[in-house]
Amino acid sequence: MTYLEHNIKSVPSGWRKILHLNWALVVLLCAVASMGFLMLYSVAGGSLTPWAEPQIKRFILGLVAMFVVALVPIWFWRNMAVVAYGIGLTLLVMVELFGEVGMGAQRWIDLGFMRLQPSEVMKIALVMLIAAYYDWLPIQKTSRPLWVMPPVILILLPTALVVSQPDLGTALLLMIAGGVMMFLAGVHWLYFATVIGAGFGTIWAVFQSRGTDWQLLKDYQYKRIDTFLDPSSDPLGAGYHITQAKIAMGSGGWTGRGFMQGTQSRLNFLPEKQTDFIFNTLAEEFGFVGGFSLLVLYVLILMFCTISALQNKDRFSSLLILGVGLTFFLFFAVNMSMVMGLAPVVGVPLPMVSFGGSAMLVLMLAFGLVQSAHIHRPR
Amino acid sequence: MMRTPLRPLARILEARQKGENPDVIERENRHLRHEQMRDKSRMRAEGRLLVLGVMFFCAFGVIGARMGTIAASEPAEPRATATGASIVASRADIVDRRGRVLATNMDTHSLYAHPQQMIEPERTAKELARIFPDMDEADMARRFADPKKKFMWVRKKLSPEQMQEVHDIGEPGLLFGPREMRLYPNGAIASHILGGAGFGREGVHSAEVIGTAGIEKFYDESLRDPAREGAPLELALDLTVQAAAEEVLFAGMKLMNAKGAASVLMDVQTGEIVSIVSLPDFDPNDRPSPLTKGDASDSPLFNRAIQGVYELGSTFKIFTAAQAMELGLVNPNTIIDTRPPFKVGGHKIGEFANHNYGEISVAEIIIKSSNRGTGKMALAIGKARQQDFLKRLGMFEPTPAEIVEASGGKPLLPKRWTDLSAVTISYGHGISTSPLHLAAGYAAIANGGIAVKPTLLKRSGPQDGARVMSESVAAASRLMLRKVVTEGTASFGEVPGYHVGGKTGTADKPKEKGGGYYKDKVIATFATIFPAHDPKYVLVVTLDEPVETSGTKPRRTAGWTAVPVAAEMIGRIAPLLGLRPEFITGQLEGVVRISQ
Repeated sequence: MTYLEHNIKSVPSGWRKILHLNWALVVLLCAVASMGFLMLYSVAGGSLTPWAEPQIKRFILGLVAMFVVALVPIWFWRNMAVVAYGIGLTLLVMVELFGEVGMGAQRWIDLGFMRLQPSEVMKIALVMLIAAYYDWLPIQKTSRPLWVMPPVILILLPTALVVSQPDLGTALLLMIAGGVMMFLAGVHWLYFATVIGAGFGTIWAVFQSRGTDWQLLKDYQYKRIDTFLDPSSDPLGAGYHITQAKIAMGSGGWTGRGFMQGTQSRLNFLPEKQTDFIFNTLAEEFGFVGGFSLLVLYVLILMFCTISALQNKDRFSSLLILGVGLTFFLFFAVNMSMVMGLAPVVGVPLPMVSFGGSAMLVLMLAFGLVQSAHIHRPR
Repeated sequence: MMRTPLRPLARILEARQKGENPDVIERENRHLRHEQMRDKSRMRAEGRLLVLGVMFFCAFGVIGARMGTIAASEPAEPRATATGASIVASRADIVDRRGRVLATNMDTHSLYAHPQQMIEPERTAKELARIFPDMDEADMARRFADPKKKFMWVRKKLSPEQMQEVHDIGEPGLLFGPREMRLYPNGAIASHILGGAGFGREGVHSAEVIGTAGIEKFYDESLRDPAREGAPLELALDLTVQAAAEEVLFAGMKLMNAKGAASVLMDVQTGEIVSIVSLPDFDPNDRPSPLTKGDASDSPLFNRAIQGVYELGSTFKIFTAAQAMELGLVNPNTIIDTRPPFKVGGHKIGEFANHNYGEISVAEIIIKSSNRGTGKMALAIGKARQQDFLKRLGMFEPTPAEIVEASGGKPLLPKRWTDLSAVTISYGHGISTSPLHLAAGYAAIANGGIAVKPTLLKRSGPQDGARVMSESVAAASRLMLRKVVTEGTASFGEVPGYHVGGKTGTADKPKEKGGGYYKDKVIATFATIFPAHDPKYVLVVTLDEPVETSGTKPRRTAGWTAVPVAAEMIGRIAPLLGLRPEFITGQLEGVVRISQ
């Protein structure tokens, strides 16, 4: 019996729940997705196919799924956390065994009507389970070493599976999201300091050992790290994406070249123009104004999530909302840094805008959870 | 948190006495404690959220700022640097001494195909065969139809007309890639020096242009260096002079029925090669492939002036005379007995056509070209000093000319330098050098005794090489050379308005398989300096197997072949070089001045 269940009577019921949805969030999500539709329409050369139309259909499907999830009480979802995590893990193992190979990595499972990326499912399942764990765990035990171990294992298990796909970017995002969840749950800061310190120490040692007798990595591995960190050293090879992306953004200037006028993206200079690098099309066609507007929309979504989390007195709900927001933030922050050359290129899509089924659906489901937590919050 | 334990009996009793319910108090107490705990954890959570919020904010700030800087940046194509970049940089031009273009770049296109994207492979093959008649239509169609073929080259270079025609086929599977190609606008002129360029590493969007021969290869790195920023490579060559020299030499070669010819024109002070010709030549825009059989030196690619080493005959006599004078052994008037017999190491030394010149002066030895006279001077000089002198004139090493082929022009020297070698070398047999070596040697005489290194690059001033002979010896030698033209073997060398000095040389060609010399194949050479009294230039003209047939019997000596060609050449190029013709006033009779 949690605090929340005590207050069940004040929670709206039946169709009245719809009135208590966080409608602002819904509107913001629609706005972001619409920008995505516009861009997909533009990169296809002014055509709904092959990207914009399926994307719209999936968004509508996602919207419906979000409403359904939102109307189901949050405590049901809390109880489903373990199940979701189990499904996610199973899918990851399945993809390992008979997944489809795309772009040199095993990432998809063909479900017939869509191709599912289990790592996307896992992102949300992990957030749910960690939130549920800390909701269940008595507060005073939060920082005990024994009780810190389970979530660490819960995070590392899927991470290891994702790394083996190999999808380093998503694996890192999973780890960071899980870690920040633990941080928010109130685990003592010394744990984090130790892990971060050890991480930097390892990196430092690896670089220090370069060229000495006790070199930790092979020479070619260092070379790969170099190109990974500084793609501009190889503008026609590894740095090609970034070079072209920067040209696209630079040519957009402050106000852009105008809708459907982007040359870099429409003339196939930009690789992955409909997925990971779609932000460049936006920046080229609508300039700084367009790019910044999208950033503002994202920030607003994040703010609504945070406010909703602060209003929510239920521990699971607030942790879950923050976790979803955090995942969302990591997506777009990493993607934007990547396409602007601030971070190395790791395959992370721009949430709600990039073409892609599972990412969009999973995010909509996650926002359904946020809505559910918002509707069923104790009052 | 302060915990106030209720349980001690005293407390309970105390509470009871006051009429309060201890259970209620305890529950109240516990409730407060829980509230406090929850508030504390909430405070901590909010604190952490704040930390996170600050980090979020920083991330937004960085992304926003970055967006702004990129938006404000110029959308410039990145200048390729360091690795993998050389393929983008363009090659520097090569210009002559007056800045006229000898080699430059031209934008063109290559043609490649994506057979999988082709709509009408058969029609395309047919059309391509029409545009490029040398293409095999059937083979093309077969390759286009191959379902496994994703990519294939069709043509490396296209002319604009061809490109338009290919474009008009309208086949989406045919694609153009930009190409930068090397263009030699003057065709065959200076072809042996420029060499050629071809494609190196090749991609669809660009190809590397690399030097394959000549100065293009010698300075390949430097010409490709982006740090050069397109500054052209300035050669010593003068395009006009080069063109005139090639024209005259070509005509001379035809007239004298020679199979090859070479000429070198060099500035005697700076060592700059103003013109250097080797015939037959080729068009560097369409460089022929090297000969696969036969003698490589018969290929048009072979540079006779630098790569080819020949016995240049009597032209070497002046070096012997100059050294003998320099050593104080003789002066121009010293009388030497040139009568037979003169035997060295068991070999009889003969004269041309078995002449007997009698007892003559050193000057006359040069003018009449006496082998025995020069041989006797060589014996007086001695082997060691002779070698040293020739070495200082640069006759022992390949010339330092800045083309890759120059290193192939290594002089052939006797394995053992016997007295006989010393004697034959004194009149230019038994030592094979390139015409350029000879020109460098004559330049030392012409400039007053300073050894110069020939160079193809434009120079700003004279070379400060080592002195090989005194001014006075050089002057005396020049006087002898002048007399060769005025009263000796090179009487056809007179050019109206220009005083020319020089020495002829006719050497029998050695048989390829060894074992003596041909009787009817010669290398005829004329080495000249002009103007004779204050020489500015040295010109060497060499004809390979010339034969002059205007007389009753064929004449092959240099005086009949190389000399008239050289004279014609001087007559043509001296004005181009800015040399003022000098006439004796009396010759201007009949010229009426019409102005006051």
